Amino acid sequence: MTYEYFERSRREDEDLRQASDYVERDVLAFPTWPHEMIRNLALTSFFLGLMFFISAAVPPHIPGPANANSTPAVILPDWYLYWSFGLLKLPPLNPELTLLGGEKLVSDRVFGVVANLVVVGVIATVPFLNKGSARRPVEEPFWAAIGVGGVVFAFTIAVLSVKNLVAETFPLGPHELFDLTFFLPLVSVFLAYAVLKTMREGYMFELNRRYYRLRPPK
Amino acid sequence: MSLERPDEHDHDAWMERKELSPIEEVYLTVLIWLDRRLRLVDYLELLEDMYYKTNLQMPKSHTEQYDLDNKFWYWYPLYALGSFSTIAYVVASISGALLGFYYAPSTQAVGGETLRSVAYSNVLFIMGDLNFGLFLRSLHRWSAQVMTAAVFLHMLRVYFTGAYKEPRELNWIIGIVLISLTMVFGYTGYLLPWSQLSYWAGQIGVEMALSIPLIGDWVAQLIFGGFTLGEATLQRMYILHVFVLPFVVTGLIAVHIGIVWMQGIAEPH
Ligand code: HEM
Repeated sequence: MTYEYFERSRREDEDLRQASDYVERDVLAFPTWPHEMIRNLALTSFFLGLMFFISAAVPPHIPGPANANSTPAVILPDWYLYWSFGLLKLPPLNPELTLLGGEKLVSDRVFGVVANLVVVGVIATVPFLNKGSARRPVEEPFWAAIGVGGVVFAFTIAVLSVKNLVAETFPLGPHELFDLTFFLPLVSVFLAYAVLKTMREGYMFELNRRYYRLRPPK
Repeated sequence: MSLERPDEHDHDAWMERKELSPIEEVYLTVLIWLDRRLRLVDYLELLEDMYYKTNLQMPKSHTEQYDLDNKFWYWYPLYALGSFSTIAYVVASISGALLGFYYAPSTQAVGGETLRSVAYSNVLFIMGDLNFGLFLRSLHRWSAQVMTAAVFLHMLRVYFTGAYKEPRELNWIIGIVLISLTMVFGYTGYLLPWSQLSYWAGQIGVEMALSIPLIGDWVAQLIFGGFTLGEATLQRMYILHVFVLPFVVTGLIAVHIGIVWMQGIAEPH
């Protein structure tokens, strides 16, 4: 059976190749080697140097030893986990069911953990939600806008996670900050959508006519 | 005219006919002798095959194909971010292996009045006394953070260039696993110095694990070695950080890049 399938798929390739007047290649890609690799080699050498330089210039420090009996005022992970930490602080959104007399369906802590899983899960399904041959943001203002919103949200939720620090430096109450966390991403979604929609008209078919004649965006 | 067909495989007669110089004769004799025994031809063919595979006339790049007149695509440099992630990972691995020579994951107090554990004082030793120790730790931390940043930006570039679409869905999902594991790498590493911040970050981790419905207790046991932090926690973090994750992540990166190699880079335009 396996072989039968391989035969079929090979025949399909063969037929496609014969039917096509597009001789150069039949893959929508450019070669990893050498096109991509050679250029990256140059860029990464520079990058490597940069990394060593930063390491030498900005050495790390270490806080005091672990002490189970004194909770520090600020507990924080490294910056790249702030978003996750911020999601743990979302319980105010946890829906309270009036039916259960104001009781919450899931506890706040569970809610925070689930929020993390939901975010990762949604990102994982993106290729199955958005299909088609379009690639540029201008071709799909909607998806690009969602992306911009996601990035801004990643930032605002990270800021929310350090709300204690923010409150010290900016005149923002916890409520305003909480609202901004969701409001700013929404604003940027609409802004990005509007900008891209406007750009679309003149720009999209101008730059690369031949490409679009071959493969009109679906 | 002889009816006998000449023997195609009579190499000696073939050599007779060719009128070779002594050097050529010795060379061919040795070659034939070796080839009879080792079948060198096969390996030669393999090499030849490899040579032609890497030196094939490359298909036209996108820029040539569509006649873009050097209108290089505006996000092109961002395509290096995947390589940046890989390089940062390699640097972190090497510096991490070196740090590992001087570190032991133990929460045992070093004695005296101090709170310092063996792990913590090991880090102090690395930073204070070891030649190049401070730089080593600095390099390890920075490369880890740079890697995380690069991976995130790489994900954004893949998103905004639509590079996750068919046929690259699988690589997107492997990527999600990779970025998650990169963060787990960071988290487990964060706990290793067993400093005040390590300890309380660990505390939050245990609480998160415990609040997972149904299997929370079990997860906390498995990953943190109990419901409260202690020796077992540190040792599990250590094994995750220096044994489990390196194998898994290295393997996944290899698969990830292998797939990119097979499929080519998604065409920018
Ligand atoms: C440890 C982390 C990662 C490493 C080392 C890595 C490495 C790479 C490399 C070297 C490439 C070649 C193209 C390029 O450099 O842009 C690539 C492509 C790709 N990566 Fe990653 N990556 C990582 C994480 C991710 C993540 C988090 C995602 C998305 C969720 C992702 C999705 C993809 C996809 C879809 C491609 C194909 C893009 C194309 O063909 O243009 N990768 N990766």
